Amino acid sequence: MSTHAHSTAAEGHIGWFEHTVAGIAGSIERAVFTEEHARKPGWLQGVDPRAKMGMFVVLVLAAGLANSLLVLALLYAAILAAARASRVPFDFFVRRVWVGIPFFAGVVIIPSIFFATGPRLFDLTLGPLHIAPAIAGLLGAVVFVARVGVSVSLAVLLVLTTQWADVLKSLQALRVPQIFILLLSMTYRYIFLFLHAMNSLFEARKSRMVGRTDGAEHRRWITGSMMSLLNRSFKMSNDVYSAMMARGFTGRIHTYQTYRMTPPDWLAVALALGLAVGAGLLGRVIA
Amino acid sequence: MHIPDGYLSPIFSLGAGVVTVPIWGLAGRRVQAVLNNRTVPLLSIFAALSFTIMMFNIPVPGGTTAHGVGGTLIAIVLGPWAAVIGVSLALILQALFFGDGGILAIFANCLNMGIILPFVGYLTYRLIAGRAPLLSSRRVWAAGIGAYAGITVSALAVGLELGLQPILFQDAAGHPLYSPYGFGAALPAMLLAHVFGASIVEAIITALGVAYLQKQHPEYLSGMRVAAGADIAEGQAVGRPIGQVIAGVAIAGVVVLALAGLITGGGDVGHLFGADWSQVNWADVATMLLIVAVIAVVLIPLARFLLPQRLKGIGTAFTAIAVLAPLGLIAPGFAYGEGSAADVKQAFGYVPKGLQDLSSVFSAPLAGYNLPLPFFSGANATLWQTAIGYEISGIIGILALALATLGLARLLRRPGTDSTGTSTV
Repeated sequence: MSTHAHSTAAEGHIGWFEHTVAGIAGSIERAVFTEEHARKPGWLQGVDPRAKMGMFVVLVLAAGLANSLLVLALLYAAILAAARASRVPFDFFVRRVWVGIPFFAGVVIIPSIFFATGPRLFDLTLGPLHIAPAIAGLLGAVVFVARVGVSVSLAVLLVLTTQWADVLKSLQALRVPQIFILLLSMTYRYIFLFLHAMNSLFEARKSRMVGRTDGAEHRRWITGSMMSLLNRSFKMSNDVYSAMMARGFTGRIHTYQTYRMTPPDWLAVALALGLAVGAGLLGRVIA
Repeated sequence: MHIPDGYLSPIFSLGAGVVTVPIWGLAGRRVQAVLNNRTVPLLSIFAALSFTIMMFNIPVPGGTTAHGVGGTLIAIVLGPWAAVIGVSLALILQALFFGDGGILAIFANCLNMGIILPFVGYLTYRLIAGRAPLLSSRRVWAAGIGAYAGITVSALAVGLELGLQPILFQDAAGHPLYSPYGFGAALPAMLLAHVFGASIVEAIITALGVAYLQKQHPEYLSGMRVAAGADIAEGQAVGRPIGQVIAGVAIAGVVVLALAGLITGGGDVGHLFGADWSQVNWADVATMLLIVAVIAVVLIPLARFLLPQRLKGIGTAFTAIAVLAPLGLIAPGFAYGEGSAADVKQAFGYVPKGLQDLSSVFSAPLAGYNLPLPFFSGANATLWQTAIGYEISGIIGILALALATLGLARLLRRPGTDSTGTSTV
């Protein structure tokens, strides 16, 4: 009874916004913030983060240059195998990538199916409707969506199997200036704080509200809460600054760098390189 | 506006790095030299804010996505070089954690949203704000207009980059390898979605942000430049009567419309918006306007009176749109963007093949937005008769859409709850 009353109260004008924020906060927290998968004893988790970065760049390049569906399918199969070896849950990994991609890449590419020239797959006439997708356009769209899917899968796999601190350190190995790394790590923390604060604002309101209110009240509340969020953020920025100064921050950051490339790391890089070169050669043979 | 991997050729994606990486280096040095340690947490907060704003995006067919960025706001508070770093950081985090925007495409995305956007926005802001006092409302307007310009130019850059792909990268058979839309599709797709949508959102976010800072935290607006040794007059916020603001916006709107009309009409006053106004029978138009006005006076208050409380606002608005829609009939040739394939052919001399195929999809029972009765759409129907046909078909369309939506909502509604919000379980 009480859950129903709650859910109907939430179905106001800002329901979608609230749900989006709560969904984003929840999914990040589960998948990234707890670094649940990055702490598992899998294959990619054990590889040196710098090696992983290199593997990733090589394979994304191979996917970007691939123009055949077969090559992309083989690359995706290899990614799935790597995910398996790294103990990333299969359905979670596949779903996370393929739920969003048809929505974004798919919607963007659909008109091209009808705009391409050449023979048509079929010419369906439904009363006044006239549906005739071009074969070339359809094939191009499938390769396009597959390429985007493989690239995004690679990025998701890299993030899922790497701890955030390691990502930062491998950026340092790539000679990224320290100010960027410092800002990146702080921004990362603030994003969670923002989402958390927003979430608790919504929850606090929801738990004190009965029935519906009008649009003007909603707008007033949203502006008010945005301002209060900004106010709190500025205050927090001052507090963080004071805390940093109190601990002797001089504008330079120091990190321990204890990574060493081991033979298994080199082997993993060689594997990725071989896969990328193989994909390139296969693509050339098909063409 | 995030370009995912696969839309751009890898060569093009990495090529953008030739521009982006040196600017990052320069920005890093500038930020470290000019700003003090205090700005490190502040810049992080703004980057996180930008990240949050960018999460609310919608896909744009033929382009990428449309959303606000917040880059101009960061540039106004912390300077354009800090904005380069702030927006770039938000983009890098999005690419890494959400697959929103490609990883190879990160250079191109940072170029569009992280470099072009804050610099265009900031320079426009400085140009309009001039030497106005820090707390003047002129700075709020300047911020809004600057943000609008910045994000629109940024969307233009995305359209150009996507439009270049099919020209530069094709397979042996001449089929595009990457994003398949040329300039003709990619540019309008990106520009229209922004000019009438995301850019307005961005302008409002930025203007409200600056107004808020003026009121609550003026030290953030001056702090950075005072730290750099500049002397800035603070001044006082001067409230402007709302009537003046509305009049100003109305005049600006008329000027913009007149300019757009002149440009599309090739500079000929008689051909504003490319239509031949000398063909219009103004006596007919006057009759139609009179009849439309009478219908509006009767129908709009009636709708407001009859509709239930929850639908009052939106229902009245839709009725008003339907009643006033025939005003578009005045323009000879084709009105608004409603031209049929034949109209397009007449105007541009050719019809894109895809448009020809797609256009028949939309030939609805009420073709031409009119009723298929001789009184309304016959050859001898006068303008006011056509107008009434337009209005009736518009109202029928809105009612049909409302019924369809209502039916769908009923179907999707979870069992156990009803529309009054009380539980039956």
